[in-house]
Amino acid sequence: MRVIVAVTMSDVAAQRDVSVDAALLSQALGCPVVATDPRRRTGLVALATAVRTTLADPVPDARPAPDTDDALLLDDDRFTWLSDAATKATVTPGHDRLTVSDKVDRWVTAPVVGPLIFLAVMWAVFQLTTTVAAPLQEALGGFFSGPVSHAVISLLTLVHLNATWVEGLLVNGLVAGVGMLLTFVPLMALMFLLLALLEDSGYLARAAVVTDRLMRTMGLPGRAFLPLVVGFGCNVPAISATRILPDARQRLLTVLLVPFTSCSARLTVFVMLGTVFFGSNAGTAVFGMYVASVALVVLVGLLLRRTLWRTMGAEPLIIDLPAYHLPTLRLTAAVVWQRLRGFLKTASGIIVLTVCAVWLLQSIPTTGGQAFGQVPVEDSVYGVVARKISPAFAPAGFDQWQTASALLVGFVAKEAVISSWAQTYATEQPAPGQAGLLGDHIQAAFVQSSGGHPLPAVLAFMVFLLAYTPCVATLAAQRREIGLKWTLFGVAMQLATAWLLAVAVFQIGRLFW
Amino acid sequence: MNGPLHRVLGEIAAGTPTLAEIARRTGLSDDVVHAAIDHLVRAGRITSTELSLGCPTGGCGACPSSGGCALPAVLGNRRPGLVSLTLTRSVA
Repeated sequence: MRVIVAVTMSDVAAQRDVSVDAALLSQALGCPVVATDPRRRTGLVALATAVRTTLADPVPDARPAPDTDDALLLDDDRFTWLSDAATKATVTPGHDRLTVSDKVDRWVTAPVVGPLIFLAVMWAVFQLTTTVAAPLQEALGGFFSGPVSHAVISLLTLVHLNATWVEGLLVNGLVAGVGMLLTFVPLMALMFLLLALLEDSGYLARAAVVTDRLMRTMGLPGRAFLPLVVGFGCNVPAISATRILPDARQRLLTVLLVPFTSCSARLTVFVMLGTVFFGSNAGTAVFGMYVASVALVVLVGLLLRRTLWRTMGAEPLIIDLPAYHLPTLRLTAAVVWQRLRGFLKTASGIIVLTVCAVWLLQSIPTTGGQAFGQVPVEDSVYGVVARKISPAFAPAGFDQWQTASALLVGFVAKEAVISSWAQTYATEQPAPGQAGLLGDHIQAAFVQSSGGHPLPAVLAFMVFLLAYTPCVATLAAQRREIGLKWTLFGVAMQLATAWLLAVAVFQIGRLFW
Repeated sequence: MNGPLHRVLGEIAAGTPTLAEIARRTGLSDDVVHAAIDHLVRAGRITSTELSLGCPTGGCGACPSSGGCALPAVLGNRRPGLVSLTLTRSVA
């Protein structure tokens, strides 16, 4: 076969200080090589001359190839020949060929330093979020429990509905419950902004490499890192994202693991408890829960692999990383708004319904002689049911009925833990400089239920919250992907894991605090 | 035979996480590694899948959560994201 090589894009090569010696390349390849620039129409005459000359010459002998039928070996022989020829004829700059992205990546994707950098970045995100957003959150809390509540009461007074069940529903239910949740809007916005900046800059892709390596080290399916990373935002799309996994067993395993990733709904409860119990170290406490979440995913994953799916193979996988770039304002703002919109949608939808249901249960008396809506919460259907289940949490140090009932409501959505507390304790306007009466109530409950060991008890509560069923929407997504049987298996596994870990945290923690 | 294709396949099988790392470990140029990857994808030795930590680069059609998403307008401008390359047949 007659071959002529036309070398193009010399201008791009020149921009990178790369030059190609056509004569050397011709010698190495054993055929004519002509440098051309079709856009500027240079070198075309030389190319035409080369074509005429080559056509006039006899057909050259074929290059000797290895005596084999193995297609990969034959291909590799050609690659070696071409690579050697290109290397001989190409003059590259003497300086390091690595780009800035490559140089940064050597650190942020390194086996030991990479995870440490990732942990440091995430710690900074949580610390910055809790520190900067705290004053805004406190101001919003005062706004809802003060002016908003007073305005609603004034309006109700005008229509003669004050001191009725309507006031209970609107003020102690919707304003206290949903309002308390809305105080987290600045915090969530800041958190989403920081994560969007990390994502759009390309750093989260590097974090994916670090996570992927960790999972493969543990023998878990490499590609499962993607839905698990998505799970830290919201478990529902994460479960849908498991469809990228080609193997049914890998999908099943990952769907069962996703609920252990700490979603942003849990973040609100972690931040609240962190602020109340750990003060300026709230960010570190929240960060600790995320580390615990990763550990939980790995340990439960290993446990399931060693028991149910021993034969699952780990598939090799590499990642072609995009270069780092400056985040764009438009995309970052759109991503933040998308996630914040999801939070507001939950607060205005399922949380409003939950608040109404909780209010209804708190209004129905269980004994005679008490009117609807005029019953102390502990004597309502809500309080009685909560008291029935609360002893189960005594070994974990949080068997106050108010705490147990919040966990029960948390099955609907984790944000509802906060709204149910706010309803139960019927929060009043906080004094200046204080976190608010709700925090005081919660702190007192943990002190009492833990026998004077509130810190291990609240840590146990946070671990339970991390490990048990995230929300009904996640259950629905699980049922759609893996069926009812495995969904129920997952719920049982989550509850058992949550209870055992919470008990272990409290019982060990109380020895030290 | 220990040519570029075998060396790249060997690094993938060994778990080398990125193409830049493969180039560094094998001593091959980035261009040769990318050419080898392109060839191996065409030959069916590895599969290439676009991944996304946020919005998929392929647009809403590739997203399982597109129903409740508020970002259709910006997806068209999404920059290139992660691409995973998975070994389908190891070297004999």
